[in-house]
Amino acid sequence: METYLQFMLLGLGSGVIFAGLALGLVLTYRASGVVNFAHGAIAMYSTYIFSSLVDDGQYPIPPLPNLLSMIEAVLGWFGIQVDLPDIPPFVQLGDPWSWPMALIGALATAGLLGFLFHYLVFRPLRYQPPLSKVVASVGLMLMLQAAIVVRFSNRPRNVAGLLPQDGVDVLGTTVPADRFYLLAAILVATALLYLVFQRTKFGIKTRAAAENEQFATLLGISADRIAAVNWILAGILAGLVGILAAPITGLNPLNMTLFIIPALGAALVARFQSFWIAVWVGLAIGAGQSLLQIMEIRLPWIPDINLSQGLPLVVIAVAMMARGQVLPSRGAIERGRLPMALPTRIRPRLMTFWILFAAAILIWAPFVWRQATINTLIGAVLALSLIVVTGFSGHISLAQLSLAGIAAFMLSSLATDAGWPFPLAPIFAALVATGFGIVIGVPALRVRGASLAIITLAAGVAIEVFLFKSDGWFAGDSTRHVADPSLFGIEFGPNSPFFFGDGKVPSPAFGLFVLFMFTLAFVAVIRLRQSMLGEQMLALRANERAAAAAGVNVTSIKLAAFGIASFLAGIGGTLTAYKFGTFNMASFGVLGSLSVFAFSYLGGIATVSGSLYAGSLFPESIGTLAFEKLFFPLGRYEAYLAGLFLIVTTLVQPEGIDVFDRRERRRIGWGFVLLWRKATGNPDRTKPDWVERIYPEPKHKKGMRPSPPATVDAATTHEDGGS
Amino acid sequence: MSERVLTIEEMAAGYDNVAVVRDVTMHVDRGEVVALLGPNGAGKTTTLGAISGIVRLFGGSINILGQDVPKLRSAYLVGQWGVVHVPEKRGLFFQLTVEENLKLAPRLESGNTDEAYELFPALKALRNRMAGTLSGGEQQMLALGRGLLAQPDLLMVDEMSLGLAPVIYEELMPLVRKVADETNAAVLLVEQHTDLALAQADRAYVLSHGDLVLQGKASDLLRDRHLIDEAYLGAEALDQDPAVAGSPAADEAEAPGE
Amino acid sequence: MKPVLHTEDLTVAFGGVKACNGISLDVYEGELLGLIGPNGAGKTTFINAVTGFVPWSGEVQFDGSSLKGLPPHRIAHRGLSRTWQSLELFGDISVRANLEVAATKLTPMMAIRDYFGSSERVAERVDETLAVLEMEDIVDERPDDLSMGYRKLVGVARALVAQTKLVLLDEPAAGLDRNETTWLAERLRQVIDFGISVLLVDHDMGLVLNVSDRIHVIDFGKTIAIGSPSEIRDNEAVIGAYLGAGGGDE
Repeated sequence: METYLQFMLLGLGSGVIFAGLALGLVLTYRASGVVNFAHGAIAMYSTYIFSSLVDDGQYPIPPLPNLLSMIEAVLGWFGIQVDLPDIPPFVQLGDPWSWPMALIGALATAGLLGFLFHYLVFRPLRYQPPLSKVVASVGLMLMLQAAIVVRFSNRPRNVAGLLPQDGVDVLGTTVPADRFYLLAAILVATALLYLVFQRTKFGIKTRAAAENEQFATLLGISADRIAAVNWILAGILAGLVGILAAPITGLNPLNMTLFIIPALGAALVARFQSFWIAVWVGLAIGAGQSLLQIMEIRLPWIPDINLSQGLPLVVIAVAMMARGQVLPSRGAIERGRLPMALPTRIRPRLMTFWILFAAAILIWAPFVWRQATINTLIGAVLALSLIVVTGFSGHISLAQLSLAGIAAFMLSSLATDAGWPFPLAPIFAALVATGFGIVIGVPALRVRGASLAIITLAAGVAIEVFLFKSDGWFAGDSTRHVADPSLFGIEFGPNSPFFFGDGKVPSPAFGLFVLFMFTLAFVAVIRLRQSMLGEQMLALRANERAAAAAGVNVTSIKLAAFGIASFLAGIGGTLTAYKFGTFNMASFGVLGSLSVFAFSYLGGIATVSGSLYAGSLFPESIGTLAFEKLFFPLGRYEAYLAGLFLIVTTLVQPEGIDVFDRRERRRIGWGFVLLWRKATGNPDRTKPDWVERIYPEPKHKKGMRPSPPATVDAATTHEDGGS
Repeated sequence: MSERVLTIEEMAAGYDNVAVVRDVTMHVDRGEVVALLGPNGAGKTTTLGAISGIVRLFGGSINILGQDVPKLRSAYLVGQWGVVHVPEKRGLFFQLTVEENLKLAPRLESGNTDEAYELFPALKALRNRMAGTLSGGEQQMLALGRGLLAQPDLLMVDEMSLGLAPVIYEELMPLVRKVADETNAAVLLVEQHTDLALAQADRAYVLSHGDLVLQGKASDLLRDRHLIDEAYLGAEALDQDPAVAGSPAADEAEAPGE
Repeated sequence: MKPVLHTEDLTVAFGGVKACNGISLDVYEGELLGLIGPNGAGKTTFINAVTGFVPWSGEVQFDGSSLKGLPPHRIAHRGLSRTWQSLELFGDISVRANLEVAATKLTPMMAIRDYFGSSERVAERVDETLAVLEMEDIVDERPDDLSMGYRKLVGVARALVAQTKLVLLDEPAAGLDRNETTWLAERLRQVIDFGISVLLVDHDMGLVLNVSDRIHVIDFGKTIAIGSPSEIRDNEAVIGAYLGAGGGDE
């Protein structure tokens, strides 16, 4: 019995960090209506700052795009070697700092991060649909995480403990004292916040603005400033919890970033409203996880499957199923829009050209380009999956790569272990992924926006922990093998010598197979966009209740979207598995899912052709390879840049690169036509058809529109004339 | 005496990109009660929103005590200038107590809310109740009490009578007259209940379909009620469409007064 | 004549507040019934209840059978559709697609057949509706790009395009100027000629008096008058409730 108690008390260490993060989540939600997925990342980032200051007296400079290195690269094309100054990775600030100074430095950084998040990202996004806010905060999470990886690498780091760790005897067991100090600290912090919110004018104003921003405005309250102050507070709080708890939980760029998931669970139970509930639930999750760990070891009837790691998902799922749409709204108007879903036409001649072009590269181009093309196409298939679920039906899913991983695992089991023949094994594998995907989609029947992002993220983590990790069901540690696919005696596996084989893996034949699969998926999704099913998805995305009133069966359409998307993700997973003939489950982690989401959104989440741009953003794809050949190796910067550009995309061009490109092509193309006409003395100013086809200019202009349609009078007179 | 508090010139305002009111010109002076009338959907609430800066201005100008109403983003400034806007839904925070709601009154540095309780003694016993649990009449008292704590230069009340029993609004309505007389504030009243509003008002404007169709002294309008009724019933629409009702002229004559 | 929609004592309560208190009314086949009442009388809630968006008590019969417990899309499939005060169009798909979504009762088989390009589209009905409402030249626009008058019309068209027997119009004239309202009124009369029954809720008395066959006036749950437009126009109680002229028993 004592042991259980001891473990529960030990678990308070991580419990405190969950609770502390949950507190900050509630705070920022109440202040600005934003669910900040990057809140754990703020804690992680400031803890690194603290550790760096205390250990080395160095302050890391966040990675910035260095234009000088671009110039270096461009000069290098002409054979000119110059060495322009780099931005230093760190500023040396004298000797290692004393801990109070370092604490102040780190907390100042945390507060600044909070402020910048609000001022640069969420304030401009405040009237945008929830989807945009979730995407931006996922971008921030990726970016901070990657920034630390760039500066400090992935390795775990030891953090100097500030709290005494000598043992304290409690009810017959010994527990390090820091647990109790932490507990006291978090409870004091909660009490203080509670008092500020209940008693001070600032607190009353915050609560007022949270209930109804517009009413608050009428009373001369600037909801904006209130939010800024609260964001700073939340940042500092995150930093503090991170720094104090890091000696217990350990510190690496990923673990503390993902502590956001149990924290989100706690905040959800508190409906993002009550500080006390959030804190108690956070503590309970920490203690519960620790307890489950020892129970797994001690009690034979409990399976050893990392139950403790599933606890946050269970908490989130129960909170959501029990309460439905749990996040209270703020009475603010949504004025923003979702990315436009411009249709992509099937243009046979153009497509044939590109297919032949890609095939030529796959067959004759040097190996690196072949590999890059294959990676691009596989990435594009994964992006297509998100285009269906997020772009068309408007539901965010942060677990797509996990689904791909499930399909990959199933493929290796079926094709290799069970010896199923080619088309059967991958199809069945993708179908299994579809099954999982539909299960993940079930919460979407009740919730959307931030809530759905939370549960899919938690599901992704749970899949990773339960199935993919070394001790998970899929025994993900070991390398898995996949038999080469072949049909009617023709082999097109990565090792297959058939067709111009140069002996390097993956082979041209496999490349052609991937090209075939991608083309199939691409055309299938274009067709979906044109079909009635696709139209109903878009209707659902635009307005759920209006769709229901128009006779759309909301439940079926949602599940269909999740199902189709998961099938595509599954296909992407099987292609990934086939690629080298061997793979490791670790490549299907939750961080990968986030990156896939980021790439897809950047490429163009609502247009089918956006998938190709998305594919070109994946690591070792055509786009990144070209960039690296032209400029400099991306390496660890890739994820960082993806996060950064994801945020920029939500802020300035929600349609992503695809529509940006279409618009520019239209502008440039039309410019050339005009130039040509001018040169040939042709006064014609009418736009040729293809200009409109590339990108139909939205007629939506800001300001007042000439309101009554001119046709009103026309129609009326027409009527009169008729009768 | 008659300092201009509010001057609106050729204002157009609305939501998204659609102007709900067009070309509205009006003014309110100190110590004056002005009623803004019109059927629902005519744009009265939009006009008040534009004055407080929370509705987008497309054209024209709104000037309050010498200052132009700022862009949406800085709308909160208007609240600090001494403009009190009691919106249709009363603008209360249901999850805050009565006392907390009162404390949010702008320009109330002292934090002393006693004045509101003196004005509405009924609120005193409720001071620690959540505003959401109050009855409709109590909520309206709270909204007015909070507004008056701010010692407004311009008080705007939207549909004071909405959802209230006649006994209650007939008691509350004269209060705005008292405010105008005693504190010399300018009062702009939006009301569905025409007669009730005209009884308190000095002047009135009538909106219909986003256009200002009628204005004049309250006493004149009370006398020529049919003018207002026509604006409400859309007599002009009848006029334009001979296909529907028999003789438009006859309808017009019969429609109101009887 | 038999009523296409029959409600009896329809009540909707949100917590302790009754948003819609015992409304009983009949809409007969082929008529345009105007439903008017002061603000807060529960007219929109009535529409929300009948179309399955809020739980209610009492009785609602549509086309002879009860609607109790049906989800919104099933009610729509029976031929009862509605418009929204706040429009709620599918802003980023074309007007034609807006109508196609509403015109289709998509079954899984049909979705598959359509996907492979072999199902007869609902084009005919869509075209017909577009023609009746004279909207042919805006079929390829996105509703977000249209003027308010046209957007309202798209809302009406979307409600009509399904095999609709009765359409509930929630404040179709709100936000329209006088010209647009007149224009809309003409379109509404055309709808009736098309053989569809209409329940019209609007604050614009002019519009309601102009186009309705009968008018039903409610005030906080009780029916205060039913009658033809001219009867309603002369009704003291109506003028009292609506204009606040004298307010009843003064």
